[in-house]
Amino acid sequence: MDYRENVKVALEGLADHKFRSFLTMLGIIFGVASVIAMLSIGEGAKREAIAKYQDLGVNNIIVREKNMTDEELNEVRAKFSPGLSLRDAEVIREIVPEVSSIASQAEITADVRFANRSVRSSIIGVTHEFYDILNYTIERGNFFSKMHHDTKQKVCVLGAGIARQLFQKEEAVGQMIKIEDQWLEVVGVLESKAIFTETVGELAARDLNTDVYVPLSMFLDRFTRGNALASEIQQITVQVHNSDRLTESSHLIEEILRRHHFQNEDYGIVIPLELLKQEEKERQMYNFLLGAIAAISLIVGGIGIMNIMLATVMERTREIGIRRAIGARKKDIMRQFVTEAVVISIAGGLIGVFLGISLSVLVSVFTDVSTYIRIYSIIIAFGFSVIVGIVFGYLPAKNAANLKPVDSIRYE
Amino acid sequence: MLIEINNITKRYVMGDNEVMALRDVNLCIERGEYISIMGPSGSGKSTFMNILGCLDTPSTGEYKFNGVDVSNLNDDELSDMRNREIGFVFQNFNLLPKLNAVQNVELPLAYAGVEAAERRERAVRALQRVKLADRMYHKPSELSGGQRQRVAIARALVTNPGILLADEPTGALDSKTGIEIMKLFDELHQEGNTIILITHEQEIANYAIRNVYIKDGSIHYDRINTNRTIVS
Repeated sequence: MDYRENVKVALEGLADHKFRSFLTMLGIIFGVASVIAMLSIGEGAKREAIAKYQDLGVNNIIVREKNMTDEELNEVRAKFSPGLSLRDAEVIREIVPEVSSIASQAEITADVRFANRSVRSSIIGVTHEFYDILNYTIERGNFFSKMHHDTKQKVCVLGAGIARQLFQKEEAVGQMIKIEDQWLEVVGVLESKAIFTETVGELAARDLNTDVYVPLSMFLDRFTRGNALASEIQQITVQVHNSDRLTESSHLIEEILRRHHFQNEDYGIVIPLELLKQEEKERQMYNFLLGAIAAISLIVGGIGIMNIMLATVMERTREIGIRRAIGARKKDIMRQFVTEAVVISIAGGLIGVFLGISLSVLVSVFTDVSTYIRIYSIIIAFGFSVIVGIVFGYLPAKNAANLKPVDSIRYE
Repeated sequence: MLIEINNITKRYVMGDNEVMALRDVNLCIERGEYISIMGPSGSGKSTFMNILGCLDTPSTGEYKFNGVDVSNLNDDELSDMRNREIGFVFQNFNLLPKLNAVQNVELPLAYAGVEAAERRERAVRALQRVKLADRMYHKPSELSGGQRQRVAIARALVTNPGILLADEPTGALDSKTGIEIMKLFDELHQEGNTIILITHEQEIANYAIRNVYIKDGSIHYDRINTNRTIVS
């Protein structure tokens, strides 16, 4: 009796009791579906986090001015701290050995106007290096160049969102927009970016697509701050050569800043990679729990299979007796029933895979939870369901094989 | 000598009691014999049949089948013996209800490892022998009692076993159909098959050439049937 015939016999057996077989499979179906759905939710969260931190740059150390009330600001100024400055950036570049690139940025919030439209936006003065450090991609035109920066050109690059709001379907590149009392020429439009939805340290959550980037040199000359006590710049993004040196470099940067700011902690340091690692650790635990819960449901499904298989063996005692009388070995009977259990679990597993994929698609479509199905999760869930079939089919099959032919042939 | 049984006993333990189902049974059967084993219920006749059919082993004594000592075989070897050498025919047919006639007949060959094409060919031939080739694809539930028993006989014959072991083969049939089945056994005997008929009815036992009578676990008589019912 080869396995193909066993499979055929098993399939026929299942087809004879369609409803019962379906109920038996249900446990496995839900088990597999929940393993896949849970893993896809975990994976979705992981990918979202990686994307988020990649936007901040995994080789970057971000130094950002603390959000302070006027009172606090007065206090630190009274203690001689000038706030973040271009000089800080210069010192970091000179002293920290691992630095590959450094970008300073200054910010104000202002109305941006084009024709009769006006949008409130963050105006960010940056050096041309900024574009290389952060993974921004330009959609149309170009980012401004070193020449633009050095010669303090009145140019700007728009985020995708603000470009759409101001220009709608018109071409933005080449147009003039007005910020405060300055006219700037649009030289480029950035590609749409994921909205930065979480506050990380001093980095507040915001929509990066509404930013307007201008050369820092021009910004410092032409834009006035609302607050006379405002620091020269708001953020320094430091890129290091080697991500293994991130922590050391950040310690060094902290040391430098503490001295230059006369022990005033009016800045915060964010290391995206460290945060990513930390978040990863927390999530791993969470994913493990989710997976364990799903695995338990698979085991419960397996017990369901065992239960039905035990009943089936009882019900088919006579059949087993007949097969034994005409020459089936114990092994043949064993194989027949294990195959039947495995067929149930494989069928349940397949339906479960389908259901799991559908669930995870539904979750990502109808909620703001993002999901991602990795092939390995399907393999794990499906493989586990087959193992469950073998494990929980074993005992009933063994019972079947150990029935005495003499007794079972006369069983009514 | 096809079957040689020397001093076999069979004991069962039922609760605290030990029951002696067979005591010191001796029997020899030659190839080509047609023998009935008769006895009232509780005589040990079923136990004897189980041992003859390799479904069970004796507690003591020796059972040689074609020179092989069956009493010491393990479970797998007993299964193979049943597969190759014993063709069972039961009172209630014992066909698998979900398989059609030819699939039922094929089943012993499947366990013997015969490949599908040859299996089908031999099964069809066995069904032709019992004149049921036209009902090949019918399920047992679509066949009459006599037809079912003939499928069972075909299944018993398909492996060319050493013995056909029929346990009350007419017990579930009306007398007319019963006679037809007995006629079939007679033909099979004439073709050279060894037939062992287990029954509690004198009428059925009378079809055999040799009669063995078991009572209280031992052979009461073993004689040539002088009063044989001939079916022509």
